[in-house]
Amino acid sequence: MAVFVFIEHREGKLMDISFEALSAAQKLNDEVIAVLSGENVGDLAEKVVKYADKVIVVDDPKIDTNNEAYTRVLDELIKKEMPKVVIMGHTSMGMDIAPAVAIDLGLPIATDVVKISKDGNIKVTRSIHNGKVLADYYLKDAETYIITIRTGEFSAEELSEKNGKIERVDSPLKEEITNKKFVGFVQPEVGGVDITQADILVSVGRGIKDKENIPLVEELAKIMGGVLSCSRPIVDYGWLPKERQVGTSGKTVKPKLYLALGISGAFQHVAGMKGANMIVAVNKDPKAPIFSVAQYGIVDDVLKVIPALTQKIKEIKG
Amino acid sequence: MMEVEETNFDELYEVYACMQCGKCTGSCAVSLRSDFNIRELMRIAILGNNEDVKEHEEIWDCTSCGICTVRCPRDLKPSEVIVGLRSILVEEGEVPSTIRDALESIGNNNNPWGRPKSKRADWMKDLDVEVKNLSEGDEAEYLLYIGCTASYDTRIQKVSRAAVHVLTKLGVDFGVLGEEEPCCGSEARMMGESGLFEMLVEDNMNLFKDFGISKIITLSPHAYNTFTTDYKDYKKRLEEEGIEIPNLELDVKHYTQFLAELIEEGRLTSDMMNEFNKTVVYHDPCYLGKRNNIFKPPRKVLSIIPGINLVEFERREDRSLCCEGAGGRMWSEGTGTGERNAVIRVRDANTLNAEIITVACPFCLSTLEDGRSTAGYEESMEVKDIFEILDEVLK
Repeated sequence: MAVFVFIEHREGKLMDISFEALSAAQKLNDEVIAVLSGENVGDLAEKVVKYADKVIVVDDPKIDTNNEAYTRVLDELIKKEMPKVVIMGHTSMGMDIAPAVAIDLGLPIATDVVKISKDGNIKVTRSIHNGKVLADYYLKDAETYIITIRTGEFSAEELSEKNGKIERVDSPLKEEITNKKFVGFVQPEVGGVDITQADILVSVGRGIKDKENIPLVEELAKIMGGVLSCSRPIVDYGWLPKERQVGTSGKTVKPKLYLALGISGAFQHVAGMKGANMIVAVNKDPKAPIFSVAQYGIVDDVLKVIPALTQKIKEIKG
Repeated sequence: MMEVEETNFDELYEVYACMQCGKCTGSCAVSLRSDFNIRELMRIAILGNNEDVKEHEEIWDCTSCGICTVRCPRDLKPSEVIVGLRSILVEEGEVPSTIRDALESIGNNNNPWGRPKSKRADWMKDLDVEVKNLSEGDEAEYLLYIGCTASYDTRIQKVSRAAVHVLTKLGVDFGVLGEEEPCCGSEARMMGESGLFEMLVEDNMNLFKDFGISKIITLSPHAYNTFTTDYKDYKKRLEEEGIEIPNLELDVKHYTQFLAELIEEGRLTSDMMNEFNKTVVYHDPCYLGKRNNIFKPPRKVLSIIPGINLVEFERREDRSLCCEGAGGRMWSEGTGTGERNAVIRVRDANTLNAEIITVACPFCLSTLEDGRSTAGYEESMEVKDIFEILDEVLK
């Protein structure tokens, strides 16, 4: 019995999810067969084979980042090799290919799986109701099961080395795919920071006084593992870009920790950050409205507090 | 032809009458610092292709000050065309996320600030006088309509409390609605959500009827403007659709008008006040001034304060420079760059040696106070509502 692992790669690089899928496959204690298809993928096979008993390589320029082509190639390989399980990531690519293969071949599919085990039958666990419930499912009898796994649930660190063999096969794709064309990759803006996704925000306001003091705050943010954000005047002064602005006319943020440095706490700013789990404010004015939403407050000049805080955290972190 | 709820743009705004003279753009308070070009947008409305609208994100820059409408030589309403263009974007879901959140909050919480309805009366917590609550069976001649921003914004809550103090000292028979006070909807309409606004008109007219309210004093020029103009227009519109709106003749006054009348009647006089030896400049809010020609009442109120040195901006009354606080701009920065109008305004006040910029609008208070801090006049200048000054000087 064999387990297929569909290898995802993009622009000549293996995606992390491929190793996670290999890790999930290894847990089933069966022969792990990686399927590596695409154009000029030969070099990647060396890296994959380390963790697989076998890598089936299909090198075909017609595949060229086209999910329709990947689907047809995978269809043919499954028909030929008859694996017990096919594992791939629950990524945009996996979400495109896996259901198509399941329909093409009439196979059962389990998507967005967080755990796979063998308990007689194959048992999968899915997280439902917004993560409040974990549900176990037994898959009904079939020759082959298609499973997509949630990213980050299977650790690539648990992979054991197998150093199997590489097998090149002829592409089963006879003609160009014409109903779907790959147009190109669009890269997200370089340097774009999404402050709404940060767990720790170190936020500065007018109290910082001078643009030259921004690096002080940057250093503190870095050492805390946080991201720099700010109130509106800092953007008005041109000291930080608009994408860093917290408030009703900027971004609404909900970090685990919001450190407000020299921010008085105008209503429009507070409305954009009061959902934070913990708010710590530093301001020299004890009457500043920011203290009415902060759990902890320091009444002092931020320019004194910032270096002291940086120093202290450095000491703690060693 | 573009349409808003199946009515075409020419029927609504007579866009075909526009001769593209550009006086609107020449007058515009935001084209000073952004690519916003109202003449060009009028052209787009004439050409009538919805796709063109989507390419102009600066449509959200408009502060709805209304100067284009005041000055249009053809008597058109370019500022209303912006509302129409925004409606198209709202209908198509092409709205900045911050605007979307504000509109959603009006629908869910009856205020654009994302604050719960249960906290709307929090501004009253620190009050040291009893206030009637018209939603709890109390009866009074006037409703003091506070509005969303003065209910929730901790700075502007002080104005609401000052208003209660002043009206109480003057013996006015008034009450508030506390937690039951609704959003007036002015900003919802300006952000292009006419459906939501219609709903508010219907709900609020019924609510006023249920609580026996017909005389209203507003803190905000925006509530004043919408109750006196938009509510009438929309009542007609809704009735044409077969929705029954209570036949209520609302008598609505901005508080500066109300206080000016008390002066006329001799119920508010200089004798009732302590000396106030400060240099004060009054900033005309657009929704009171440009949109409603209310220039004299606020000045009249200020002028009777003993000792006050009232100075004037060069750009005043219908030439007043918009502070950029309305038209949804509290929830959208717009594409503008460079110094904010509020900062320019504060610098102008500084050249007049003004110690206080006084306003009669919550948005103006918010933007100008921010501008004062940005310009670095925190120590030398204050921004206050007229109600706050009166609260200070009344014996």
